[in-house]
Amino acid sequence: MQSLLNTLRLTVKELRAIRGDKVMLALIFYVFTAATWLVSDASSTDISDLSVAVVDEDHSPLSYRLTDAIRGPLFAPPPVISPGQAKQGQTDGDYVLVVSIPPHFQRDLSAGKDVSLMILIDATAVAQAGNGASYMQQVLADELAKFTSPGAQSEDLVQVVMRNRFNPNLTSKWFSSVMQLMNSVTILTLILAGSSLIREREHGTIEHVLVMPVRPHEIVFSKILATGIVILASSVASLFLVVQWGMGVPVAGSPLLYTCGAAIYVVAVGSLGLLLASFTQNMGQFGLLVIPVIIVMFLLSGGITPMESMPGWLRLVMKTLSPSPHYVEFAQSVLYRGSGLALVAGNLVAMALMALVSLVIVIGRFRKVLAN
Amino acid sequence: MSDPSGATAAPAWIAELSGVSHLYGETHALSDVTLQVPAGCMAGLIGPDGVGKSTLLALVAGVRRLQSGSVRVLGRDIAGAAARRENAPRVAYMPQGLGRNLSPTLTVRENLDFFGRLFGQKAAERAARIDMLLEATGLAPFPDRPAGKLSGGMKQKLSLCSALIHDPDLLILDEPTTGVDPLSRRQFWELIDTLRQRMPDMSVIVATAYMEEAERFDWLAAMNDGAVIASGSPEALRSQTGAATLEQAFVQLLPEAARGPDQGPVVLPPREGDGEGAPAIEARGLTKRFGQFTAVSDVSFTIPPGEIFGFLGSNGCGKSTTMKMMTGLLDPTEGETRLFGEKLRASDMKSRLGIGYMSQNFSLYAELTVEQNLVLHAKLYEIPAERRAARVAEVLEEFELGEVAQSMPEGLPLGIRQRLQLAVATIHEPRILILDEPTSGVDPVARDGFWRMLIRMSRERGVTIFISTHFMNEAERCDRISLMHAGRVLEVGAPAEIVARRGTDTLEEAFIACLEAEQPAEEVGAPTDLSAYGAEKASPSAAVQSATRLWAYSWRETLELIRDPIRMFFALVGPLVLLLTMGYGISFDVDELNFAVFDQDHTPESRLLAEQFTAIPQFTERPEIKAPAELDRRMSTGEISIALAIPDGFGRKLHQGEVPEVLLWVDGAMPFRAETARGYALGLLDGFADELALARGQTAGGTVDIQTRYLFNQAFKSANAMVPAMLMLILMLIPAIMSAISVVREKETGTIANFRSTPVTRPEFLVGKQLPYIVISWISFWMLLAMGRWVFNVPFTGDVRVLGAISLLYVCATTGFGQLISSFTKTQVSAVFATAVISIIPTVNFSGLIVPVSSLNPGGRIFGLSFPGAWYQPASVGSFVKGFGWSDLWLNALMIAIFALAYLGLSVLAMRKREA
Repeated sequence: MQSLLNTLRLTVKELRAIRGDKVMLALIFYVFTAATWLVSDASSTDISDLSVAVVDEDHSPLSYRLTDAIRGPLFAPPPVISPGQAKQGQTDGDYVLVVSIPPHFQRDLSAGKDVSLMILIDATAVAQAGNGASYMQQVLADELAKFTSPGAQSEDLVQVVMRNRFNPNLTSKWFSSVMQLMNSVTILTLILAGSSLIREREHGTIEHVLVMPVRPHEIVFSKILATGIVILASSVASLFLVVQWGMGVPVAGSPLLYTCGAAIYVVAVGSLGLLLASFTQNMGQFGLLVIPVIIVMFLLSGGITPMESMPGWLRLVMKTLSPSPHYVEFAQSVLYRGSGLALVAGNLVAMALMALVSLVIVIGRFRKVLAN
Repeated sequence: MSDPSGATAAPAWIAELSGVSHLYGETHALSDVTLQVPAGCMAGLIGPDGVGKSTLLALVAGVRRLQSGSVRVLGRDIAGAAARRENAPRVAYMPQGLGRNLSPTLTVRENLDFFGRLFGQKAAERAARIDMLLEATGLAPFPDRPAGKLSGGMKQKLSLCSALIHDPDLLILDEPTTGVDPLSRRQFWELIDTLRQRMPDMSVIVATAYMEEAERFDWLAAMNDGAVIASGSPEALRSQTGAATLEQAFVQLLPEAARGPDQGPVVLPPREGDGEGAPAIEARGLTKRFGQFTAVSDVSFTIPPGEIFGFLGSNGCGKSTTMKMMTGLLDPTEGETRLFGEKLRASDMKSRLGIGYMSQNFSLYAELTVEQNLVLHAKLYEIPAERRAARVAEVLEEFELGEVAQSMPEGLPLGIRQRLQLAVATIHEPRILILDEPTSGVDPVARDGFWRMLIRMSRERGVTIFISTHFMNEAERCDRISLMHAGRVLEVGAPAEIVARRGTDTLEEAFIACLEAEQPAEEVGAPTDLSAYGAEKASPSAAVQSATRLWAYSWRETLELIRDPIRMFFALVGPLVLLLTMGYGISFDVDELNFAVFDQDHTPESRLLAEQFTAIPQFTERPEIKAPAELDRRMSTGEISIALAIPDGFGRKLHQGEVPEVLLWVDGAMPFRAETARGYALGLLDGFADELALARGQTAGGTVDIQTRYLFNQAFKSANAMVPAMLMLILMLIPAIMSAISVVREKETGTIANFRSTPVTRPEFLVGKQLPYIVISWISFWMLLAMGRWVFNVPFTGDVRVLGAISLLYVCATTGFGQLISSFTKTQVSAVFATAVISIIPTVNFSGLIVPVSSLNPGGRIFGLSFPGAWYQPASVGSFVKGFGWSDLWLNALMIAIFALAYLGLSVLAMRKREA
């Protein structure tokens, strides 16, 4: 009972400390509002205004029609250039796609010959070239179909109906906003939890607390609790106010389930932050250690590239050491696909276990850390 | 005012200040100070902490910017930069804080080498001077010991050596002896005296808080609250006030208000008999080892209840460690502590209720008000709720904290903060108080007040007080004291008893006698043969001197980096870890898409269509879907990300020439994958149509084949483009963070003082510190290149020499960018995060990493091109996969070089040689 009371008292103290740090508050606010919004909009792999050019060696009505068909919002207005310019332009990275229309294209087509169009793709722009080219193919094919059989419904043999589950228009911000949120939670929790320990050590206040009838685990819990409350509250608020309401991204699953899972994640990351802090002497070292950890946890979480695309050993390492892949799976299942508890229980247990292991190590090391 | 050194050829005043004021924000550090410091003598500034002594010395040394008034040093008005440049080689400045301007990881000799280089000395001259100084100071036996591992006294000697390496005409010492044991202190002053005999023209200005020391100075200025309250020789000050000691004279000189009611000297009433029963504190053979190092060795003592027990010793002698073991903060390696007869264990919560502890540095929560601090501690000490408010009020009253109850501790004067600490330590009415140097830095008046409180607690309430101090007059107020040195207790007893036993006049001399008996013979030193001192100065040409100074910083930075495993790891392994994770982590290859078919038709046509999908490697086939609900469920769990539903009647409709529908379900949770999967699926359906047409023998004639050709990356592998682009990101991030930290570290640790007080110029300092990081980042580049080539198997088709050269320019630019950031940041943490945040957005979003620069809108394109990353990305990608050479990349190289120069130029402008 006394132990619980002490933890709560220390938590109140930690919360006051966070409130006192105006810069950190501003950062938290910025990250969960403006940054979530900006990054979700900016880091888009959607194709828009893709730089393209046309090499027209035909100069026929059809080639003009094809050139006209290439337009916004997918493509920037294409300049018509010579083959030499096209080659140089693609080498310099000026055009991602170049459509090459051969001489006598319209004449040959009308004469019933098989003709071919060429799309030259700068394959170093991997994020946009592939999908850009498939859109380009579609645009050109549609235009050609209108030319060859005007008025016809479709010359396709099979009508394909596309159904995108969970994100009908494949809006990339639906995806990036939630992943950005997870990124912010990871960064802020690691830094906030870790620095709260290092700051106390640098100021000598931790010694002071330890000569009182307070046990190390009470201090550790209070730090995690305080950090957790702040980050969890702001991230959940951000999800429902900024992402769902402000940006209009629908949330499919149960808000309660999501909040519980996010709470477990915050505890796991907070414990990890304390663990890292216990291995460093000062804030400078902590900063150097935490940056690569953040980058690795984020990039290899499955939130950028799906886990399936990683080599098996890497997947195993990440799933064993980092709570982030579990959180991404959990968040995607609950938020997009509306999964229930049964489907995500495994992820929750994994995150909880990681939190437990970190906590045990931190509490075990607590006095040793002070001796240095 | 007199000129004790008599008329000499030199100007009579070494430093003249007139109307000098200095503000830190709202706080007046100096207000309208006019002072003339005599030349050729030992001049002292006395006064407690925070009265403006350090500010005054920093202004004279030229390391702080003058705000108002004028300062003449060595006959020159130092408002002008030219005068400061002239003065720099003639002035030596030893900043406050024991060895703060030294590099702890560098050895004694390396530290001195660094200072010698800063003054442009050649190797032979430097070696001769260092040998002589080490010999003179008794440091000669330890040239290879890292400065961080020296004792306080040795650090201080090393600091002095580094100040004397260039034969200064003016030596400025800011509290050189604070925290040093009395023996080292005496040796230090003897050394200074000898030096002054050798060089009678050298002027010395010293600031000190020890009034006893000031007795030996030729001339004094007493300071209080930013103003000089008196100046003259020590005798003059004493006779002016009619006081016996300087300390009393100083108190007399204070304005009435600051002095407070005169309560007479602090007296310790005798203790009433030794209480029976168990002693309050009993230490038995306490020993603490940290690895190889023995911090405390076999310490034992017994303290009866109600006694004030003083614990004396220099910094780092093991006092604090002993006290931590007595509070249960540290577990002793050997031995035990008993409190009132009961053994203390670290996990014992009950015994802690009986102890109050006050640690050396101020350690209350700065984010809580005075009252909140008290309440929190009252709660943690389990004072029952109903008693709590009353107890807090009582303590506020007792320690005269009522007026500041709602203030934040940070803004309060040191004396009041110490009272607050004591209030917190006693809130639970402990029977034992353990106080670790509670009065260091507090002015004499506040110190006396503090002691009156302690005495009252001891005598009226029988509280046992264990207090450590390095003030001898405080030690004399204790019932008994113990002297500690190098982890061992040398003497225990009542002050008078110890003085008698050692046969000396004062306690200080008794302490020195103890230490002398203990000191290892090698450290006693100071044969003080300084005949070689002041040898001919060789003066190399200006260019050679400049190069030497630049090299001084490069060389020191390199040594420090090599000896700091965390930074070294970050610099060398960090980039590789990042490339490895990013190479695997950011991939636009879409493969291993889990695919399942929901075939409701079961005709040869439907099977043909399904086969198209399972034939390509990008789709991994999962078991067939049997029911609509199953499709739903399996997509919800993410088990399949693409599903093809072929409705009943598909084959029949095809035969009848109708256009049948198929449904393609794609998991849109990851839009990029979904887009690409959709592209694949459409291609497959086209292929199916062709195959069907062929099977039926229909050749429509006049078909158009839209071919695609992938340039530069035929396999369209993500790694081929992303790995070279990652080089751009990693070589931006890591070098910038490293170089930003290297400059900010100097600010944080205080070694920046060397830059401010020596002739080194801003470009020399910045380039000197940048060079090691350029080299290490360039090594990183080659390792990254090798990893990209052989781990990720990216083909390299360009000219490796060209990419190498451009990368060298690029790391010059990125390290320069870090230095520019460092000029705006104050702490290492903010440097790390500011650099990361500021550099990541332009490099990730606007340098062609994901969206090609050519596809950005004009604003974004200009933003991207105003960072070096957007110029390096084409060079890196081009050299790997496009076969680029000089002819393609000269413009990029030129632009990156311009960035490097621009960052250096801006950093030089933003860097301040003098502190604000």
